[in-house]
Amino acid sequence: MAVSPLPLYNASPRSNKTKPLTHRPNPKGSSADAASTPNPKSKASIDGVLDLAERLNAETKSQYIKGKWLGKGTYANVYEAHLKSNPSQLFAIKKMIVGAEAKDGLSMDSIREVKYLQELSHPNIIKLHAVFSSKNQNLNLVLEHLPRGSLEQLISEGDIQYGSADIKAWMGMLARGLHHCHSNFILHRDIKPGNVLVAADGELKLADFGLARSFADPWTRMTYLVITRWYRPPELLFQARHYGSTADVWSVGVIFAELVIRKAWMPGGSDLEQLHLIANVVGLPTEDVWPGVSKLDGYIKLTKDPAAPQTPVQHRQQMQREFALVGPEGVDLLMQMMALDPRKRATAKKVLMHEWWNMEPKPRRKEDLPRKVEKSKEGMADALKRKPGELEGGTGRGDKVARKIDFGAFGR
Amino acid sequence: MSRTAPRLGPTAPKKLVEDGDICPVCKSSRYLNPNMVFKVNPECYHKMCESCVDRIFSHGPAPCPIAGCRRTLRKARFKKPNFEDIQIEREVDIRRRVASVFNRREDEFDTLLDYNNYLNEVEDITFNLIHKIDLDATEKKLAAYADSNKQSIQANVSRASQETTSFQARQAAEREQERLRREAARRDDEEKKRILEENRRNILNTLATTDGDANRIAKEGQRVALKKSSARRALTDRRPDVVASDPFTAATANGNADGGAFVIKGLKKVVEPEAEKPYDPFGGLSDETQYYVLQDTYQYEDVDKYMSDVQYTAGGYDFGEWYSRALCEAFSGLGVFIGEETSGRDAAAAVPIAMAATAATVVGVEKSADDVF
Repeated sequence: MAVSPLPLYNASPRSNKTKPLTHRPNPKGSSADAASTPNPKSKASIDGVLDLAERLNAETKSQYIKGKWLGKGTYANVYEAHLKSNPSQLFAIKKMIVGAEAKDGLSMDSIREVKYLQELSHPNIIKLHAVFSSKNQNLNLVLEHLPRGSLEQLISEGDIQYGSADIKAWMGMLARGLHHCHSNFILHRDIKPGNVLVAADGELKLADFGLARSFADPWTRMTYLVITRWYRPPELLFQARHYGSTADVWSVGVIFAELVIRKAWMPGGSDLEQLHLIANVVGLPTEDVWPGVSKLDGYIKLTKDPAAPQTPVQHRQQMQREFALVGPEGVDLLMQMMALDPRKRATAKKVLMHEWWNMEPKPRRKEDLPRKVEKSKEGMADALKRKPGELEGGTGRGDKVARKIDFGAFGR
Repeated sequence: MSRTAPRLGPTAPKKLVEDGDICPVCKSSRYLNPNMVFKVNPECYHKMCESCVDRIFSHGPAPCPIAGCRRTLRKARFKKPNFEDIQIEREVDIRRRVASVFNRREDEFDTLLDYNNYLNEVEDITFNLIHKIDLDATEKKLAAYADSNKQSIQANVSRASQETTSFQARQAAEREQERLRREAARRDDEEKKRILEENRRNILNTLATTDGDANRIAKEGQRVALKKSSARRALTDRRPDVVASDPFTAATANGNADGGAFVIKGLKKVVEPEAEKPYDPFGGLSDETQYYVLQDTYQYEDVDKYMSDVQYTAGGYDFGEWYSRALCEAFSGLGVFIGEETSGRDAAAAVPIAMAATAATVVGVEKSADDVF
């Protein structure tokens, strides 16, 4: 509607709820015809109870056909779905679980997710196609279908091999997604490898906006109980109530490090342990490096392990050794993203302007990126069903082609 | 073991007297010359021993010494056959020749059907060549195709050679290993064979041998000399033929036009790969705004009081981000033209009610924005 490049956020709560139902471009335009009935009451009177909102909801709901169950999260069940009009177009339906924390209707998570995802449209952010409610006022989010797992699986699965070009490509996508969030004034606040999903074409997508919020006004306080602990920046661990977008950058920095070392970088068991890990791995938060840190509510005086690098020079050398894979520029970027003082930390934009992106090796093209090896139960079942003597991939194209013998190879 | 052992016994000596082990030209047999090697020329595929080839063809092209065959052969084209059955040898040669011309790949075709049709067409040509059906027309077809598709053939050849070289590079170590193993096995084998041969020679030496018919050998030599001279004559006769065939091949282009052409359907358009652009970390998107320029600081008392609060500074709260958000929100209503939106709505009666509702809210927003100006 507006020509302004940035979306508008001060919509009233009422319009927020109706928007997902009305705002979605119709994939087939079928519902536009139905909705064009001049008087909504005429149909409502036939149906007896349906009002406009309910009718629109039923319309949206009828466009999708829910398929098999894909998995369960803390707050939601996820199902595969496809369009009624086009079964080849797949979606994922996230059905929010009505739980204890949603006594008065919708859970905060789902409202946040809907509120922010519907505003964002970017190749590196999961796309919200539609929202509808099913029976018991369950909220269903129709999301992009991302079949290739998450970054977490790419990092932890040993049989996937990748190099610095792949890391650069992945980090680029992740940083672009984050930059788009931030340039639309949205804090993600739960960035972790498990929330970065891989699309069918290899593109990474930032998902799970259940903890997102827009940038706070100076006079409002934000909660510090966000972001999964291993990826939580020190200012949140020190219970800062007023933080900025650089909190997300810390999380992306940790993911960067984990992509290189392929294991959890700072797996703290508790908030205190997490702080100690940060002190040893990233550096000691003192008044020198972070003016005002001791005034934060949750500040705890930390001490460093004697084994940890003591001086900044030693620290940089240690990082250079540990993250040699991405080169000195990559380490420099990582250290900028892992600055203890949130004001000195690079913003998403500064991350994208770093020289590392222009260094060799070039980021891998997304279609060449390594992908997760499919080892599902179905795959096993297929293997068992196969007739003896039949080759793997018996339905491949090659089988339909007459076998071609290479006569040129004879007698060489 | 029990199955193979008795078979080996009788066949081994039998092979010596078999027809294949006697040269049809000089009649010497492997029995007498164990190192005899047979060669064929793809011109006529008549077998003869290596010494005959050397003898007859050292001084230039000569006709085939087999009775009834008048083809002129050249020494350079003689080769050791790969197959015992000379028909197969010939078929493989033809297939190789056809494959070197028709070397399109599956990924060059739009659909599998097109590729299969192409393969069928190629197999037709191959079949005709092998079974000597419509030989002239088929040869013409092949030549015409080779002529008109020089570039793609060359491209595919270089592609194939590239693939083989990379494949070779990858497997070089493996092959080397294999070679060493094979070498060892062969040495072993040869040692065994040598012992066997030695035994055989010992047996031969003990046997008395009778000479063949001396008269016939002399006659044979005379005939070959005669043929050589006649071959030279034939060659000079044939030369104009070769020249004459030049316009003939040129005419194939015309022959193409009247239906005999080899047309490949469903070939993909060759797309030149785009030059790699420099990597843009922002992915082509920009967060530039067109309505305002963000200043570093603004005079705003309600907010200024927080700026010195350590809870804000140490927590990483960025007032610049807040400024940019506030400005963006202030300018977000710009560029909405109510006139356009309402006229569009009136024109299209089919606009969903829901859309109209949103438009109504937009109108509301815009009205309040109007007050500013």
